[in-house]
Amino acid sequence: MRNNVGETKLNRWLSDLIPVARSLLGLVAIVLAAIALSPQDRDGWPIFLTLGNWTNIVRQMSEIGILALGMTLVILSAGIDLSVGSVLALGATITAKLLMVWDPGIAVWLHIAVAISAALATCALTGFINGWIIAQLSIQPFVVTLAAMIGFRGLARWISQNSNIGLSFDENHISGIFTSVFANPYVVIGIFAASSVLFAILLSRTVFGRYVRAMGDNALAAEYAGLPIRRTQIAVYTIAGLMAGLAGMIHCAQNSQGNPNDGMAYELDAIAAVVIGGTSLRGGKGTIFGAVVGTLTLGVITNILGLKGVDENVKWMAKAVIIVLAVLLQQPETFHKLLSGVRRLTTPVRR
Amino acid sequence: MKTTKSTIICLLLITIAGMTGCGRSGSDTSQNSAPSEQLKRHLVIFSQCNNAEPYRAAQNDLMAKLWSEKPDVDLEITDAQQDNSKQIAQIETAILRNPDLLIVAPNERGPLTKVMGKAMDAGIQVICLERDILEPNFTTFIGSDNRKIGRLAGQFIVDYLKDKNGSPSGNLVHMRGLLGVEGEINRHGGAQEIIEQHPDIKIIKEPVADWLQSRARERMTEVLSVEPEIDVVYGHNDPMAIGAFLAAKEVGREQEMIFIGIDALGGPAGGIRKVMDGVLAASFIYPLCIKEAVEIGDQMLRDPNFVPEKKYEVESLMITPDNAEEIYSATGG
Repeated sequence: MRNNVGETKLNRWLSDLIPVARSLLGLVAIVLAAIALSPQDRDGWPIFLTLGNWTNIVRQMSEIGILALGMTLVILSAGIDLSVGSVLALGATITAKLLMVWDPGIAVWLHIAVAISAALATCALTGFINGWIIAQLSIQPFVVTLAAMIGFRGLARWISQNSNIGLSFDENHISGIFTSVFANPYVVIGIFAASSVLFAILLSRTVFGRYVRAMGDNALAAEYAGLPIRRTQIAVYTIAGLMAGLAGMIHCAQNSQGNPNDGMAYELDAIAAVVIGGTSLRGGKGTIFGAVVGTLTLGVITNILGLKGVDENVKWMAKAVIIVLAVLLQQPETFHKLLSGVRRLTTPVRR
Repeated sequence: MKTTKSTIICLLLITIAGMTGCGRSGSDTSQNSAPSEQLKRHLVIFSQCNNAEPYRAAQNDLMAKLWSEKPDVDLEITDAQQDNSKQIAQIETAILRNPDLLIVAPNERGPLTKVMGKAMDAGIQVICLERDILEPNFTTFIGSDNRKIGRLAGQFIVDYLKDKNGSPSGNLVHMRGLLGVEGEINRHGGAQEIIEQHPDIKIIKEPVADWLQSRARERMTEVLSVEPEIDVVYGHNDPMAIGAFLAAKEVGREQEMIFIGIDALGGPAGGIRKVMDGVLAASFIYPLCIKEAVEIGDQMLRDPNFVPEKKYEVESLMITPDNAEEIYSATGG
């Protein structure tokens, strides 16, 4: 009886935390399993928990994570973008070409800035084209971006004549300076982290974010309510294209080359990350936090299977099972069932 | 409700049990289970760039077979599926596990250079296999010279055309692999060194088929529809030469030209068999380099005083109908 007030407060606080806890549940389970299973270093410490390993995980996943941020907006608006893998290749190719082939004779930093800006602008433009066709011509996003996936891959290959453009390893060359900055793991992780914060604010604290959600939740109602549906839709795909360009620029630095055939099937990894994070493919429901968690979940799965030296083919099968389990774990129904199970277990103690 | 919950828990347990069981007996498990064991176990990790290519599948098979003959060596093979980022990630993971030997078949030269340097910095012995990288970030490099093989192919083409047309002249199609890759650059460049000395040999088309048989067939179909006269198709690997042959056969023109390739793998699907079957006029062995890698790697594991050469070169061999049968049975058929 005397706990009543405190309990209600606690309950309210808990229910606020539930969505966050829910999207974390799968990741926490996998991290715990990974700690238990990790091989140990010489001091008996799990290799999985070392700083070096976590730097690896986050760096390796940053490109997929950046794609997943843009993809979250698209999926929240009840759309899909299959072209981001190709656009990533386009971004990487343009960056490499402008660094290696173009010689404007301007200051090095200006040259790098122009190269990056041009790549980002082109990729944003590809997103704008996607969005414009989807919004103005009312063609399904799946179809439009499927065509874009082929078309922009072709564009990337045409720009580079289907050969990869290697960056120089000479530290005094402009491309050497470029890679020394953007291939640095902490810079890569920093860009991913900063973008995540920016997107979280964009989605939860701005009018635009509310429009995106409203549109995905019920497009018809949003239209009747007078929301700028088309403009929002175009903006969402433009942002997805821009993020693919950003990931492409980083991809170029990390691989020291712009290869038009890179980034195949990256869009599927990005979609998987978004879905694992609890965003519904039907639109309307989901968070940026979830996308980040989903990205890390994918990264941790790959990492621990690699650390264990699991056979490559078994790895694929295990990954499939774990992805489905992770999605299952963060579904509201599963979570509540687990929660009530825990409550039932703890009741006898209080009596 | 109760059943759902227990189902989920069961699934989780199965997965975890599976993960524990699936790990090959790496160094960690052996330490726990048999501390009294006399033999020090050696972990060898082979970072393969793409299992899907027949040449690389043959490499993996031979690698697994040869290491399994050493009872104290645990071999693990990772597959990067022709993706540089994936291979970098896999090598980074391998470095943390501190293997006694790391063998890398790099997917591409540039992207893998840095991460292999990281492995060297971590004090790991690294064998760079078959594809060179931009900086010498390896203990030793074992490979074959694609340039030399390209020259052999070029000379074969010149000799053949001299026989056929009385002078070295005719129409040549290069069926090219993934552009920008070392093997592609040198198999093309080596042949061109010889061919360019004979201006009457015309390069009429240079389609790019990314090493793939299916893509070569498509590209060759296009070439055949616009080129009425072709003497030689030089595939920069056997699958592409075979793909070109299939396209020509479809329109009944396979007798008009010859097809030559590189790799000459053993086995019923390999290039040597295709030479015996009359599909390819010649193929050039691109050595797997695995026998050499295991021999030298084994010495690196066991003899702390052994300093390998910086570079080992494995020689090629031309396969024609004259010697195909003999080599085919020698490689185990």
